[in-house]
Amino acid sequence: MRRMLYGGLVVALGLLVWAIPAPAHHAFAAEFDANKCTDLTGTFTSYEWQNPHGYFHLDVKDPNGTVNSWTFETVSLSTLKRSGTSRRDFENAIGKSVTVRACLAKNGAKNRAAAETIKMPDGQIHRIGQDVEGKFSQY
Amino acid sequence: MKTGFGRYLATGIVAVGILCLASGLAAQEGNSQPAQPAKSKQQPLPPGGPAPRTADGHPDLSGVWFGGTAGGFTYNPALRRQFDAKAEQPPQFQPWAAAKIKSMTQTDYELGRASVNCLPRGVPGMFLINPYPFQIIQTPGLFAQLDELNNNFRVVHTDGRAHNPDPDPSFDGDEVAHWEGDTLVIDTISIDERTWNNFTGWFHSDQEHVVERVSRPSMNYLNVVVTIEDPKVLAKPWTSTPHVWTLGHEDLLEYYCTNNQEVEQYKALKEKESGGGDKK
Repeated sequence: MRRMLYGGLVVALGLLVWAIPAPAHHAFAAEFDANKCTDLTGTFTSYEWQNPHGYFHLDVKDPNGTVNSWTFETVSLSTLKRSGTSRRDFENAIGKSVTVRACLAKNGAKNRAAAETIKMPDGQIHRIGQDVEGKFSQY
Repeated sequence: MKTGFGRYLATGIVAVGILCLASGLAAQEGNSQPAQPAKSKQQPLPPGGPAPRTADGHPDLSGVWFGGTAGGFTYNPALRRQFDAKAEQPPQFQPWAAAKIKSMTQTDYELGRASVNCLPRGVPGMFLINPYPFQIIQTPGLFAQLDELNNNFRVVHTDGRAHNPDPDPSFDGDEVAHWEGDTLVIDTISIDERTWNNFTGWFHSDQEHVVERVSRPSMNYLNVVVTIEDPKVLAKPWTSTPHVWTLGHEDLLEYYCTNNQEVEQYKALKEKESGGGDKK
């Protein structure tokens, strides 16, 4: 039963072998768990374009076919815009399938995660979150 | 189940690349490891010639300034050195203050942060813990700093006048300034005790006295050295290393902090850490 409930997520987590996360000292790493990061694919449904963090929502099917609405946090709009992600990018993604690299909330909040990257419908991958996993430290 | 497994398997083996703005790297699919980002080709800004001067002969500090040496936004850590704690001596606290800070958890730090609470960084946080650019507009006798962060601003007289004898506490405090050679010295007292001087619990007392030394060694560079005296909290005065900002060529963006959902999230995390139940 447990596997039925969490199977897909657990399997995905188990398959992904990332570098040992570098300790980070920013808010994202405090709020989200660098050891619980995964790729989630779903339909982009809506977003909140606001500071200090943007948010967006995906409808993600779990292994049982149940659709859950997920909430993802991004960096500030200032950082998004200066790093090449516009409100138009989010607007254009509505109703389409995207894949988010995301790290789950430490507080156990259901279906809530920090987004590190998003693969947009056009295939472009945007960095939209902080470096929870320490993957980007080399550049 | 197999369908779900397959979907997550497929998702899991898709490498997550990084869109590096400068290089425009595209995603690499079909790998089990994330695509390696390109080494940044960004270089520190050159000095750019001598600093400009205002009509009264002082260096003109005016400009839009980004933290670090990139002259703009960058993810490159080598170009964002303004928060490099390794190069800076840590503050030495009075024993009671050290104990108080030591008792805080990471979640406490977050709950106390100005950014989480949408509070102003104040002085000297707008220099020490501000990752966003600011604009300086200087005229003879006046220094105005416009922070992108929270759309905060401060206006300081640079004519060497004395402090208000009975100032109200405020986030930016009671600020006066004068020139020492080519360095603008901003002297601040009466700072609201809600501000912190770093991201990890460095609180202060009503006795905090901050001196910010701002200079423009060349066209493209702004240096800020901060000294903090706080006899109630610090065992001895603390002086920062020079925090480097570089000249950008773009306008500030609007950044009003609104509806930060992190507050509720951290409160829930605090409750969980305190054994108050696992929120599912």
